[in-house]
Amino acid sequence: MSKSRRRTHVYEFHRQHAKMVEFAGFDMPLWYKGIIPEHMAVRTRVGVFDITHMGRARVTGAKSEAFLNHVTINDVSVLTPLSAQYSTMCNEMGVVKDDLIVSRLEQEKFLTVYNAANREKDYQWLVQNARAFNVAVEDLSDNIAMFAVQGPRAERTLQKISTADLSKSKIERFKCGWTKLAGVETFVSRTGYTGEDGFEVFVWDTTLSQPEKAVQVWDGILKAGEEFGIEPCGLGARDTLRLEAGMCLYGNDLDETITPLEAGLGFVVKLKKESFIGKDALVKQKAEGIKRKRVGLRMLEKGIPRPKQEVWKDSSQKIGYVTSGTFSPLLECGVAMAYVSIEHATEGNTVMVKVRGKPLKAEIVKFPLYDPMKYGYARQE
Amino acid sequence: MMRVLDYEIPDELYYSKEHEWVRLEGKSAVVGITDYAQKQLHEVVYVEVQKEGTEVQQFQTMGTVESVKSVSDIFSPVSGKITKINKELTDSPERLNEDPYGKGWLARISLTDFKKDMEKLLTAAQYADYIKTMET
Repeated sequence: MSKSRRRTHVYEFHRQHAKMVEFAGFDMPLWYKGIIPEHMAVRTRVGVFDITHMGRARVTGAKSEAFLNHVTINDVSVLTPLSAQYSTMCNEMGVVKDDLIVSRLEQEKFLTVYNAANREKDYQWLVQNARAFNVAVEDLSDNIAMFAVQGPRAERTLQKISTADLSKSKIERFKCGWTKLAGVETFVSRTGYTGEDGFEVFVWDTTLSQPEKAVQVWDGILKAGEEFGIEPCGLGARDTLRLEAGMCLYGNDLDETITPLEAGLGFVVKLKKESFIGKDALVKQKAEGIKRKRVGLRMLEKGIPRPKQEVWKDSSQKIGYVTSGTFSPLLECGVAMAYVSIEHATEGNTVMVKVRGKPLKAEIVKFPLYDPMKYGYARQE
Repeated sequence: MMRVLDYEIPDELYYSKEHEWVRLEGKSAVVGITDYAQKQLHEVVYVEVQKEGTEVQQFQTMGTVESVKSVSDIFSPVSGKITKINKELTDSPERLNEDPYGKGWLARISLTDFKKDMEKLLTAAQYADYIKTMET
């Protein structure tokens, strides 16, 4: 069975060091030392993730800005070259096809990065909607290796092996640049999925049959990070980190039944744009008001909430359901994302989560779940 | 103590195919999960065992154990009444990883008919063979 799973460029490292798991058709590391130590390495030092499994497509042409403004909900026109933005693609109903990062490489050249599980779906959607715009959409997923270096020591780790200056004065959050890392030309973007400062590193023109460049960068990052206590991190820690940070996981917290307004992504819904796919539905929903909303939950009793468990106001009234739930290594308690009826979705409210039939108390809390003065990219060091 | 692959298997215990162990102590038994089980779960963060006084049947659910990522049922390897549960696991579920045959014990059960239970349990040698088949 594992023979049919797809691999990434640094599979050999994973196979030797990690507990492996199937994810979106890929054979990926779930954890190396363990989810908890890897999670804490990213929150307090630095960790590196292989995220080559994600989908990547390049959009080129004079109309590429207009095309991306049509197919995504954020305002692409505000992107200057070498900057990036979080966005989603919606269908005409205003529900989420996928969430993604759009980066402007040059005036007429963009890179989109989307979820591994949606590789084919998203590429098809882009191609199908590009026809009216005369732009080129190329699937670069198999030609690029991608690593995320995350944590308060991410910049120092990469700076050791980088030819370009990576300090915040040169590359601030959601900005990008080109640099040689460990001798290999790479594209880096100050983005991530952990809530921490850090970079996503793109190694271009490296395929599975010619993985040398990717391996060189991966090994270089691990070696450079040694003095800071770097850990290679698997998908387990990636999930717990993003949940604490309040970031959505497509398939759990976002899907084609949920709108970005309900998901609390109103900051990327640019209704002033002339038109985009899903605009009419979102304008209507905004005028009518949303009926449910994504909230954070922190358990007040022992027990770990899991997806699909019900959220109740009290013993008589069901008000929603959990979409992601786990044990928070930082807070050392159960935490979750849930969709809750708007009238009950107030921070500070106590609700019940039915954990395997047993109602357990939880508090509705804001994201991130940690103290942003102490952890995350805005920490006061 | 036997060691098979990476897993410790004490000689004096009985085992279930669901990876629980039984230590016979007169008319009652102490039960827990095996070294193999704790290594598969990894990083146990929550343990729940049914209340003291609960009657359990062999191979029926007697609790759950959760790692960061997953939830697994614990099946009682014997039939009887739970007389004591390991309350330390509430605050220190990591004992299951640190010492699965000692401080990580789950419950003491007063036995109904161990002779009957035993027919469906494995000896250490049999469990060792079973683990080998799981890993290959």
